[in-house]
Amino acid sequence: MSSAIEARDVRRSYGERAALDGFTLDVPTGSVFGVLGPNGSGKSTFVALVAGAERPPGGRLTILGEVPHPRLRARVGTVFQENASDPLMSPREYLLFAATLFGMGGAATRRRAEELLERFGLASRAKDPISTLSGGMRRRLEAARALLHRPELLLLDEPTTGVDPEERRLLWETVRAERGGATVLLATNDLHEADEVCDLVAFVEAGRVVASGAPAELKRDLRRQTVRVELTEADPGIVERIAAEAGPGRVTALDGELVVMTDDAAALVPRLFAAAGPAIRGLRIEDASLEDAYFQYIQRRAEAVR
Amino acid sequence: MSGARVAAAIALRDLKGVAKARSQLYSSVLTPLLFLVFLGNGVSHGLEPAALPAGNFTAYLVAGTVVMTSVFSSTFSSASYYRDRDTGFLRLLLSSPHSPRTVMLGKSLAAMIIGALQAAVVLGVAAPFVDFGWQYGVGGGIGLALLTVVLLNLMLTGLAQALATRVQSMQGFHLVMNLALFPLLFFSGAFFPVEGLPAWMKVLAYVNPLTYAVDGLQLATYATGSGGFIGYSVDFAVLGVLGAAVYALGLSRVPKLTYSGE
Repeated sequence: MSSAIEARDVRRSYGERAALDGFTLDVPTGSVFGVLGPNGSGKSTFVALVAGAERPPGGRLTILGEVPHPRLRARVGTVFQENASDPLMSPREYLLFAATLFGMGGAATRRRAEELLERFGLASRAKDPISTLSGGMRRRLEAARALLHRPELLLLDEPTTGVDPEERRLLWETVRAERGGATVLLATNDLHEADEVCDLVAFVEAGRVVASGAPAELKRDLRRQTVRVELTEADPGIVERIAAEAGPGRVTALDGELVVMTDDAAALVPRLFAAAGPAIRGLRIEDASLEDAYFQYIQRRAEAVR
Repeated sequence: MSGARVAAAIALRDLKGVAKARSQLYSSVLTPLLFLVFLGNGVSHGLEPAALPAGNFTAYLVAGTVVMTSVFSSTFSSASYYRDRDTGFLRLLLSSPHSPRTVMLGKSLAAMIIGALQAAVVLGVAAPFVDFGWQYGVGGGIGLALLTVVLLNLMLTGLAQALATRVQSMQGFHLVMNLALFPLLFFSGAFFPVEGLPAWMKVLAYVNPLTYAVDGLQLATYATGSGGFIGYSVDFAVLGVLGAAVYALGLSRVPKLTYSGE
């Protein structure tokens, strides 16, 4: 599969501070790719580099198969972390102005703008000043603007920050419906959102990619599961027997149940029943979340650095 | 999409923004007119303006007021750069496929048009009520006055843009602009003739670019002859060369697409 973005050992510094320090990443064409990392990890710097279609000071970057140059920006749509609208304009004016910037005009463009206003639930507010729109509406407007010129690559930098769950659902539904075949690069620190919408993710820490792959693979690689054990009686002897089977430091008593961390629930559960069978009323196995994977990789990286 | 069309679209959007900000629009035209009415009439009736080349202080003051209007208006218009930066709109402009110079060209074009229009309004409103000489005729005088104003605004917009891309805060920008331009206004012949000044002040006046704009406007509207004035060949040469140089300086540094916190 071809890559929409290919970054090899990309470096960029702000003064003494290295924002990107050997950043290497492949974003397959047509995928929804999440770049996850804490604030200041370099993910927004990478988005800015791609959005500006700038050549990095170090390393190699190709966007949509080309070396970065300003005209490439016509093939990219960006939702910035902060809104990029003029509060004095109306949503309709804003979209038509953005269309002019991206070389569009005429009746077809006006129709496209109206269609997007409708799809993103902004048609009834099309003439109002943007300053009067809610935070969620403004984020939807930003998404509509980024999709207006039918980009091949859509960059979303924390598009749902400060947006309520209903607005978030609406925004993602519409983006998914409107993106066509465009590749989506999502920079976020919302791991649940990434787990839900991304085909592939990369964990970024200190300007480097520390792990990447499909969310399911990353979680599977962890081999971490949680077994929640509900007991018939709170007998300390039983807790000790379960702890002995699970290994040191892996059992926590939480809200009237025992939470057991394990790398292999399938092997552990029969042993738990053998050790404390009659005392077990119920048992639930939960897979590791992307959040577990994220912390595991970021921690590994921090330990390696130390 | 040509760069010129995009620059025009950006300029149009800035012009619409000013039209929507009514208070700024009204005050930028009314302030110089009130200034003209009160200061002009007050001095005309309270003092004997024998030092003026053609008498009538109110008529004399029009050229200076037009220059003052241009100074303030181009300063305020260029401050839209800060507004766009703070609202995030500048990011949209810079993420478009056009060069940042095209973006800045559009913004400065708007600032120049606004400055020139406001100066023209002041001139147009004042003209019927004051005793102008119109030595080149009304049409010729208006044409020469507008040319002077356009050259002046080219220089002022270039200066404002050069500062805006170098000074981080809007407060700092206004401080520097006021600090630089207020003294220049006083030594430009805007409020009193340069001829009667002490020698050291005359030197300051002749190295002051605003002097040549005031002179050009005085020649176009107020003067009945060329005696006591610098003359158009020098005025246009100074304003044209300086305007082009300062405007080029304004475009020499352009903003980059950056992120807060990165």
